[in-house]
Amino acid sequence: MRMYTKVLFTKKEGGALPQLVAAETENMQSRYVVQKILEFREMGIPLEEIAVLFRSSFHSFDLELELAKANIPFRKYGGFKFIETAHVKDVVAYLRVLENSRDVVSWNRILLLLDGVGPRTAEKVVNDILENRVSLSKEFQEPITTTTKFWMGYNKYPSTIRQLFEMLCTTMVQFRTPAEKVFNIIQYYEPLLKDKYDDFMKRRKDLEIFQNIAERYETIGELLTDITLEPPTNSIVDIESPGHEREFLTLSTVHSAKGLEWRVVFIIYALDGRFPALRAAIREEEMEEERRLMYVACTRAKEHLIITYPMNVYDRDTGVILTKPSRFLEGIDSSLLEPWVVT
Amino acid sequence: MKKYVLQSQKTTPLRLVKPEHFRIDYRRELNEAQYEAVTSTEGPHLIIAGAGTGKTRTIVYRVAYLVECGVKPDTILLLTFTRKAAQEMLRKASLLLDRRCEHVSGGTFHSFANSILRRYAKLVGYETNYTILDQTDAEDVVNLLRTKLKYDAKEKRFPRKETLYDLYSRSVNTLVPLPQLLLNEYPQFLELEEDIQKLYQVYVHYKRQHNLMDYDDLLFNCATLLREHDDVRRVLEERFRYVMVDEYQDTNRIQAEIIKLLSQAHRNIMVVGDDAQCIYSFRGSTIHNILTFPNEYPDCKIIKLEENFRSTQPILNLANAILNRNDILKHSSE
Repeated sequence: MRMYTKVLFTKKEGGALPQLVAAETENMQSRYVVQKILEFREMGIPLEEIAVLFRSSFHSFDLELELAKANIPFRKYGGFKFIETAHVKDVVAYLRVLENSRDVVSWNRILLLLDGVGPRTAEKVVNDILENRVSLSKEFQEPITTTTKFWMGYNKYPSTIRQLFEMLCTTMVQFRTPAEKVFNIIQYYEPLLKDKYDDFMKRRKDLEIFQNIAERYETIGELLTDITLEPPTNSIVDIESPGHEREFLTLSTVHSAKGLEWRVVFIIYALDGRFPALRAAIREEEMEEERRLMYVACTRAKEHLIITYPMNVYDRDTGVILTKPSRFLEGIDSSLLEPWVVT
Repeated sequence: MKKYVLQSQKTTPLRLVKPEHFRIDYRRELNEAQYEAVTSTEGPHLIIAGAGTGKTRTIVYRVAYLVECGVKPDTILLLTFTRKAAQEMLRKASLLLDRRCEHVSGGTFHSFANSILRRYAKLVGYETNYTILDQTDAEDVVNLLRTKLKYDAKEKRFPRKETLYDLYSRSVNTLVPLPQLLLNEYPQFLELEEDIQKLYQVYVHYKRQHNLMDYDDLLFNCATLLREHDDVRRVLEERFRYVMVDEYQDTNRIQAEIIKLLSQAHRNIMVVGDDAQCIYSFRGSTIHNILTFPNEYPDCKIIKLEENFRSTQPILNLANAILNRNDILKHSSE
């Protein structure tokens, strides 16, 4: 089955060459995009005329944090915002109770994830915590044995609750950096994730991203602050409130960007293994659809098209390090696509 | 009872209004390819509209053109991907010409199917006052039955209602059998295949029993109606003399069948789309429809819109290269 050949042309003269920009890491990619967006704004292009497109929703998570830091308001289409996804919220809830053992909302969230724990049991535990019958922070100062002894009086709770407390204790006492702590939490959380979501494979990817983000932080507190993006100058509510006539940048999956156009378009994560997604035995028709997706993404741009990819991404599913640009772009002449490197 | 079948009226080519009396100067406002598409009224047409080539504009002008030619607005059927798209196009056509364009029948495949089934549902085994289940409703029904069959109490965890509904819907739309879908998407549930199939049968039965249709049923029953009831089909063919379909590359196989049946007699069918932008196969759309349109309608006229009004040439060059490398690769592997 052949496609219909067609050659798009325009009567408009001139225009900048599209760029293919390699960044060493995911975070450098994000920082590059942020900096370029600010440059385009300086040039007089409003945020409304700029979009960042990606193959899968999770590809923009790191960028979302950098945008928040730079106070660039954005709206995201297609998929959820990173922090709003249930599984990321779960992991964040564990971190929150480590930071603040009286965070009832987070306690409720992680308790209700457990087998045999319903709203009533959760409430009982939360009350015990609030009335200092269980004080995590105090327990952590003391040897584990004390903790064990402590639990002997609480046998009426399901064993899953005990395991949760034990996990939180070890995370607090035995692991020092945020990255290590997050790693330990995810280890514990994965079976729950698997049990709770049928599409846990996809969601696990988000947690991987979360792990990568945690690696850049010195303390849990800073990580949580950045991730919740709650400072008064830039609250999520502000960005999201409907009818608010504020200038904003568009983040979108390629699917949701169909039919739309912007003066400036970034395509991030144009990394082979992410766009197209790397999957064993992917069928040829699927690969062709991925190619069309890249075509749709490129044809959204009116004046500037900047395609970026990080050069060093570990893919946990395959154990492969992804380094190459998307196969749909590789080998395209530099007279059509100008190669750049971020340093 | 003997049947006497009236012959379908041939559409007479439209020459009621002389071009010099048109209110809109089509020649001036459209480029060559757009003009050709807009002024082609009779017979099957495939409009390949590349990205940014003024597809919406072309459809809007064609609606206006047909109306200016004296076609009764409500005999024009415009099917689009979203309701908003249809409303937007008809609003623009009204601004362009006049309020007659508001009476064009426009909407999604689902709303169209619904409007027909509200009249003829009895012929496919439903009451006309059936309830439409949206996705959440449908999931809730699946959940109810899942509990009734005690699948939720099994030792091995049974898929959630969202997963089940997704599986059923995708199987209907893509024609991929359930076991294959399970293997591709949720291999952890393969061993539950039998129960999952059983639940599906129960779900189908339950909907009929309670006069419920989910989104897929609307399309499916509409196609069945047109396929099995010639008399109804003929009435509808008379009613809708000019059929237009937007985003044809994103239609699924049932939708293609519906429009084929619907335009069987007059064959005034214009589909608009871009094979290079078909990106929804996971929802059951199939690039097959647009690629095989000329096989279904060997006498169809293909018009390509290639002048882009959006991007600079360097951006288009890259986009072209991304697609053309596709051609090169295909040749070498053939």
